[in-house]
Amino acid sequence: MSEYIVEMKNITKRFPGVVANDDITIQIKKGEIYSILGENGAGKSTLMSMLFGMYEPDQGEIWIRGEKVNIKSPNQATKLNIGMVHQHFKLVRNYTVTENIILGIEPIKRYGGLFPYVNLNQAAKDIAKLSKRYGLEVDPNKKIEDINVSLQQRVEIIKMLYREAEILIFDEPTAVLTPQEVEFLLKIIEELRNGGKTIILITHKLEEVKKVADRCAILNKGRLVSVLDVKDTSTKTMANLMVGREVSFEVAKKPSTFGEVVLKVENLWIRNQDNFDIVKGVSFNIRKGEIFAIAGVSGNGQIEIADAIAGLRKISQGNIYLNGKNIKDLTIRDRIEMGISYIPEDRQDVGLILDFSLAENLSLKDYYKKPFNENGFLNRKVINDYGAQLIEKYDIRSGQGIKTQVRSMSGGNQQKAIIGREIELESSLMIFVQPTRGLDIGAIENIQKMILEERDKGKAILLISLELDEIMSISDTIGVIYNGEILKIQATQSLSINEVGEFMMGVKYDD
Amino acid sequence: MIRAKMNKAFLKIFGKEEWYLVTIPVFLILLSFIVAAIIIIFLGKNPFLAFYNLLQGSGLAPKPAYGGHKSMLTDFLSLLNYMTPMIFASLSVAIALKGGLFNIGVSGQMLFGGFFATILVGYSGLDWAIAKPLVLIVGIIGGAIIGGLIGLLKHKFNINEVVSSIMFNYIIQYVFSFFIHGYYIDPVSRQSKYISDASRLTLVNVQMFNLKMDLSIGFIIAIILAIAVKVFLDKSRLGFEIKAVGANHKGANYAGINVGRTRVLTMLISGAFAGLAGVTYYLGYFASIQPRVLPSMGFDAIAVALLGNLHSYGIIAASFIISIIDKGSTYMSSKAGVRQEIASVITALILLFSACSVYVQHKIQSKKDNLEYKARKEIK
Ligand SMILES: Nc1ncnc2c1ncn2[C@@H]1O[C@H](COP(=O)(O)OP(=O)(O)OP(=O)(O)O)[C@@H](O)[C@H]1O
Ligand SMILES: [Mg+2]
Repeated sequence: MSEYIVEMKNITKRFPGVVANDDITIQIKKGEIYSILGENGAGKSTLMSMLFGMYEPDQGEIWIRGEKVNIKSPNQATKLNIGMVHQHFKLVRNYTVTENIILGIEPIKRYGGLFPYVNLNQAAKDIAKLSKRYGLEVDPNKKIEDINVSLQQRVEIIKMLYREAEILIFDEPTAVLTPQEVEFLLKIIEELRNGGKTIILITHKLEEVKKVADRCAILNKGRLVSVLDVKDTSTKTMANLMVGREVSFEVAKKPSTFGEVVLKVENLWIRNQDNFDIVKGVSFNIRKGEIFAIAGVSGNGQIEIADAIAGLRKISQGNIYLNGKNIKDLTIRDRIEMGISYIPEDRQDVGLILDFSLAENLSLKDYYKKPFNENGFLNRKVINDYGAQLIEKYDIRSGQGIKTQVRSMSGGNQQKAIIGREIELESSLMIFVQPTRGLDIGAIENIQKMILEERDKGKAILLISLELDEIMSISDTIGVIYNGEILKIQATQSLSINEVGEFMMGVKYDD
Repeated sequence: MIRAKMNKAFLKIFGKEEWYLVTIPVFLILLSFIVAAIIIIFLGKNPFLAFYNLLQGSGLAPKPAYGGHKSMLTDFLSLLNYMTPMIFASLSVAIALKGGLFNIGVSGQMLFGGFFATILVGYSGLDWAIAKPLVLIVGIIGGAIIGGLIGLLKHKFNINEVVSSIMFNYIIQYVFSFFIHGYYIDPVSRQSKYISDASRLTLVNVQMFNLKMDLSIGFIIAIILAIAVKVFLDKSRLGFEIKAVGANHKGANYAGINVGRTRVLTMLISGAFAGLAGVTYYLGYFASIQPRVLPSMGFDAIAVALLGNLHSYGIIAASFIISIIDKGSTYMSSKAGVRQEIASVITALILLFSACSVYVQHKIQSKKDNLEYKARKEIK
């Protein structure tokens, strides 16, 4: 038997207009953590989707445990003990945790040896055992729609383990997690490896690679650039290889000059569907030229505040003033026109229309205005030209340019499309929720630079991010949210990252 | 080597990529006829004869004998006459589906528009120049009222459009049946009384070339409106909004589109087309209303719309094919002795296979990619 558990030999995969994987060969040893790095659209997800049987390679061979295999479906991959946690989870939202985990391989029992039924009790027991063994606590009877992303991810992991996966593929698992959750996940990944599993980890975060991975493969525009031993390589080298140029980790930030107040939020209360107050009397101001960041552990009400300002969510009390005008009763479109840009948390379900073309998505907030729309009819040429301009400016990569169906684009490039569209609206207030999530380091550098440029142009920016580093490096003011209340508003310079972290956990309540 | 040749031949059938939208459905329809032929053989009949009878019955092939003042042309015009409400009904379904709504109430909306056009105009004795346009207008308004109401119920009270459509179907079916039985019944035919010729959307027994023909005015309108629907959905602002709401209503809402209003408008338009189907059916192809039943065409239209890929030209083509099978089936059963139900089986097969069109396209694409790749490699 060969020393490699997974070998992908000379793999090529083409999509219309793009070679997503070009003659890639990687070999993965049993029991190692193998990381795959590369820019947005480099072909990471595609390569792993083939190992998991979602696509078939156009060319090349896949060998598992020294045997050549033809993986034609995820079911077949599962039989070969391969499991995958996708970039965008694939769970049934109104099923319980247990139901999701056993879906497709339900343990069947028969009443009196005759009538088959799903043995949920047995399943629940098995799942509890697995959870305990790997420290993946999750309530098996909760519905997926009622648990947060980090728990959903646990469900995905348990789902793999329940199917006895030996080769575990994680596609950008940490993009949706808070720093604490990331720590925890990395620990689990290491434990799984120590338990004999083989792990493939796609990520954009080099510290994570440095921390847990044994080796890493770097892809660039569909090609394999190199395979490195992580312990002998600095993150800087990895970054440079990945992007193909020097990347600076430092953000150059000019001193800020604040103008008049653009957004004034006054005693804002928001209730969720269960009639539970999720935001309790929040007030804050954002001035021209100011980046105001709301820092907080996810689920503390920050997303609801953003939705409420943009008009996507009703408020139960309070006022929202934009440039002095109360906008709390205005429609979403009126608010957009008054000057609100919004990058929402959920890019696939909210921020984009996946079945529309890239050009159509880029003018999703302009299509009804002149010259996009003339007398009730859309001017395709204007829409296309505008799209092409944004693609160029924001480096949005895809197979077929303006014509590309957004669904087929890589996760990071979908994000870039939203960012481009929203910045181009030239709004006086820009709400950015996790703007750099899922972007590669080169793109993060660019986007952060652009956000700062907008600030310097006098825009007011509300930044909601789970990445403390990002908040610390680009914001001017930080408001820390805990349990629906903003505990503290203070200039960023006067705070240390540790202090912010402590506020976020609700400590240091009084000072 | 042989396999490669076969692949090449297989690809040739489908031609250039731009034509897939046409060639793939045609291929699948042929496939359905092959399967239907096998079934007919098992029944001990001659499938070619049966299929030829279908064409004869719908005026696409000559019959051995014709009655007085009849010919192939009269049969063909009758086919177009039958096909007219089918086009309208399928467009109605397609528009709603583009907006993410399932209008299963086309039948009820047809009856609603048809009933009011019948009692208000059909029995009025108005001059044709007023009566005919008025029939169309009453049909449009009638259908739009019910469609719009369904949209409004969804928008204001979050009532699923499928549920309310079915509810309206029942209400319309029985309430109108009551009125027809009570006030408008023709005691001999057990249907509503015939409408005036002046109000009818089909010119019946027009004398030409020594033939008596039924000319459908509605057919021309149907073709024009089918093209208009395509332009509307492709190019107009409202069409864009309807598609956006249909593809992702959360995304549309986020972009500032008024989702509720768009849905009401979608159903209003869909209902208007159903109303047009109703008047061309009850005041065109027929001239009276059969009480207590809904036109099955409203349900067939769902299938036709899907077969036509929700695309205007596809819908015209699909309506044509399904109409041939429907129209020709009577003649087929009387001539070949193949029961009329076989026609429904053929229709069902076509729909079944057309559901596989995406799969076939995927297969073709991957075969093509591979061939291209190999060709490039050989050149190297
Ligand atoms: N189903 C598809 N149809 C067409 N093109 C696709 C499809 N899936 C991926 N692509 C294209 O293949 C290329 C590689 O995409 P992939 O999703 O593998 O990138 P990635 O490395 O995972 O990027 P990211 O970091 O942004 O997730 C991209 O150009 C993308 O547009
Ligand atoms: Mg990816």
